[in-house]
Amino acid sequence: MNRLWRMAVQALRSLWAERGYAALMMIGLVIGISSVTVIYEMGEGVRSQVVSMMSSMGFGADAFFVASGNRRAGFRRGGAARVLTDKDLSEISRLVNVDLVVPQLSISRDRVSAGARHTITGISGVDIHYAASRRWDIAQGRFLVEADNRDKRRVAVLGASTAQELFPEGSPLGRPIRIGTSPFLVVGVLAAKGFAPSGHDRDDRVLVPLSTAQRRLSKEDKFTAARVNLVDTGQVSETVEEVREILRANHRLGPEVPDDFTIVTPDSILQMVTRQSQAMVAMLTFIATVSLFVSGIVIMNIMLVAVSERAHEIGVRRAVGATRRDVMAQILMESLLVALLGGLCGLGLGMLLSRGIGAGLGLPVAFSLPGFGLSFLFSAGVGLIFGVFPARRAANLEPVECLR
Amino acid sequence: MIQLRGITKIYATGKVTTPALLGVDLDMARGDFAAIMGPSGSGKSTVMHIMGLLDRPTDGSYLLEGQEVTGLSDDGLAALRNQRMGFVFQSFHLLPTATALKNVLLPFVYSPRYPADAEERGRRALTAVGLEHRLHHRPGELSGGECQRVAVARALVTDPEVIFADEPTGNLDRRSTYEVMAILQRLNRDEGKTVVLVTHDNHVGEMCRRVVRLVYGRIESDTVAPQPLDAIALLAALPPREEDRR
Ligand SMILES: Nc1ncnc2c1ncn2[C@@H]1O[C@H](COP(=O)(O)OP(=O)(O)OP(=O)(O)O)[C@@H](O)[C@H]1O
Ligand SMILES: [Mg+2]
Repeated sequence: MNRLWRMAVQALRSLWAERGYAALMMIGLVIGISSVTVIYEMGEGVRSQVVSMMSSMGFGADAFFVASGNRRAGFRRGGAARVLTDKDLSEISRLVNVDLVVPQLSISRDRVSAGARHTITGISGVDIHYAASRRWDIAQGRFLVEADNRDKRRVAVLGASTAQELFPEGSPLGRPIRIGTSPFLVVGVLAAKGFAPSGHDRDDRVLVPLSTAQRRLSKEDKFTAARVNLVDTGQVSETVEEVREILRANHRLGPEVPDDFTIVTPDSILQMVTRQSQAMVAMLTFIATVSLFVSGIVIMNIMLVAVSERAHEIGVRRAVGATRRDVMAQILMESLLVALLGGLCGLGLGMLLSRGIGAGLGLPVAFSLPGFGLSFLFSAGVGLIFGVFPARRAANLEPVECLR
Repeated sequence: MIQLRGITKIYATGKVTTPALLGVDLDMARGDFAAIMGPSGSGKSTVMHIMGLLDRPTDGSYLLEGQEVTGLSDDGLAALRNQRMGFVFQSFHLLPTATALKNVLLPFVYSPRYPADAEERGRRALTAVGLEHRLHHRPGELSGGECQRVAVARALVTDPEVIFADEPTGNLDRRSTYEVMAILQRLNRDEGKTVVLVTHDNHVGEMCRRVVRLVYGRIESDTVAPQPLDAIALLAALPPREEDRR
């Protein structure tokens, strides 16, 4: 250990003595590693954004969604015919691993008016667990309660933006509104959440009791989607399969017929995001790999030059007792350290760059541990692999040749 | 201490073979102070490199303290060089980026164990060559004579039994030559170190107790001078330096 440390110090000293060369050797790595860092940090940013978005939807690892329509093409808002029935949901809620099923009904965007003012917004029929499970706070009044649902009351809770739009002055509580043509009474206002990163205003919404929505708005006793809360999160895939079987049986889908519903697990969303960014990552990784390879070649050639320029030094070291292995280790140590230093600079530059780009484009950026690890491994690998040839060349020099 | 028997060295470069040594029998006793002299190309450096285990003979036997060393591995030779030999070269071969002290400590880097008192020993070695005031100077900040004295300090820091010096005064002026020779003579006289040096300079040869003459890869003569010149006396006889006069 002591010896290794001494060698590292010596290597740093000779790198410092040849700092022009060292800088040249590091350039390629700085470029390569900084691009890897940018890739990973921006990828990680998108990923953590998706995760935080899902958790704001109350979509942790302990739940999955069942939605109407086959949405393999992606995430669509409304549109598909509603297929989930009371029977579906009660059978799902009887599964051993299912804790709670929270149904949800989305009505296509409709006109909501209050006196002379009106707005067009999305209306959802939700149950009483909705606010808690999706982390909505109540700013004014109350949220929907069991009695609202049981008695199919015509009450509504407004999002902050919708409330501001319809009632710019005074409290909306207890005031009448119309959804389409149906009259409702405002009982609460949600606390503002602001815009989603996608630019969508999360506070532009109207929530009404599920049963009321079925009776007055959708006029059918079906649901758009349901959140399925699990008991054991270790068995997500098993439960997903059971739910799929129930739904296919209830909907009488033959073996050749595709699902008329979509089950969305947190994993499947992450996979989707990952798939979409994979092509870009692959391309940038290719660029990074090429630049790392080029920098490896540069390191190798400069080290070869350095070895022949430092033949005297190598000769003296051999004369005073260095073995071939000592010489080899010294050169390897130097190329390893120069590569690691280059990698470190690249990491710093990459982190600056990705934060700059992120701020400029309004994209999220997050530190990526795998990106960091990969940068470290890549630089160490480049240093070691491309250092081997010069190191062997140095080790094979004969002391007398060096000292001539 | 050193016994060479029938040592030959033949360089083969491509089709041309150059015989450098053609059967050299040479003994060095402990405490010898020997100069190897002879015309250019006669094999002086070659024989010194072989004695210093920096090179291997093509044929012949080399007993070091009675042990045959021609069959040793590269690592074995490196260990012997590290622990029992010191080297001084014509062009100093100091590491340009390291201070005098760091240069002197270099052999310890390759010792089996880095001694705890390495620094102290390095200072002592530099003091022995009169450079205690130059510990932290780099070679570029030292004169040629001072550089060669640093090199001598590096050769003696591990307390080796023998010091090999290939034309140690070849690049030095008269005063520096005397200074280096005075140090080598003192090491030989007071500490019993064996000194083997190669030189072209007859005057340097006169300061050595023994002179081995090589011609065309063979030993032509091997003579002992009863009264070698004393470098300290020669140094004292020099006119005082400019700066000393002021
Ligand atoms: N690597 C080599 N390849 C071929 N021939 C060599 C090699 N090294 C030395 N020789 C030859 O071996 C002979 C002896 O060389 P050596 O260096 O021992 O001479 P020297 O007595 O030290 O000469 P000088 O006084 O010029 O230093 C010379 O003829 C030289 O050309
Ligand atoms: Mg020579």
